[in-house]
Amino acid sequence: MTADSVYNYTNFVEAQFEPWLNFEASPPLGRPAPDFPLTTLAGETVALSDIWRANRYTIIEFGSIT
Amino acid sequence: MDALAKRHEPEQVGAIFIYTHEAHPGENYPHHTSFEQKLRHAHDMKAKLGLQRPILVDSLAGDCHRAYGSMPNMSWIIDRLGRPVYKADWTDAEDVAGAVSQLLNLAERRRVEHKPMVPYVSNRLAYRFQDRDGFLAGLERSGPRAVTEYLAYKERQKQAGGGGIAPIRGAAGRSRKP
Repeated sequence: MTADSVYNYTNFVEAQFEPWLNFEASPPLGRPAPDFPLTTLAGETVALSDIWRANRYTIIEFGSIT
Repeated sequence: MDALAKRHEPEQVGAIFIYTHEAHPGENYPHHTSFEQKLRHAHDMKAKLGLQRPILVDSLAGDCHRAYGSMPNMSWIIDRLGRPVYKADWTDAEDVAGAVSQLLNLAERRRVEHKPMVPYVSNRLAYRFQDRDGFLAGLERSGPRAVTEYLAYKERQKQAGGGGIAPIRGAAGRSRKP
């Protein structure tokens, strides 16, 4: 089983989704945030840091259609 | 959240939506097995929900989502230097709006008070209205299995004594509805 398949769990049951809920260990406020490449809907790659550098503040919401 | 983003755009406040894994996989939107599928689901979300903010898709393995705590609908605010200045394990537009207003007001407070300001961290328990009907409608979009699995989960929580922090209930003993 790969990291991809475990993260992309198949069913909404505690054994599959709870291991991923880890907000307590998320990056602390006031310290440099981790940067990642992301993909636009047009298929282009952008760095998260490029976005936060372009704005005074950047609001980031995480989610999906489900 | 789109309205909030639009309102603060002139003040150089950006807003993005990062597409994660499927929190409630169902027949219509099953778990991702390829990045192309994840990208398709993100396109569908924009089309069906009319999201106005730029949608950015995380890697198939959810590298970004996982690094920030993997909550299904969390919100963060990051400043120009790459420092998180707000984080919440659930998205509530009113709460985010309050944080943005407070942040934008910092410069004015410094100007008026003529005093230096130093940062501190404030943790608090916040409450939001629960839109159960809207939530269930979202699950139905994913498919019947998503609804069944969620209701079964809630039943297991109930049998186990509730779990989590108790909600604030209205005078009639029902949870407040929006």
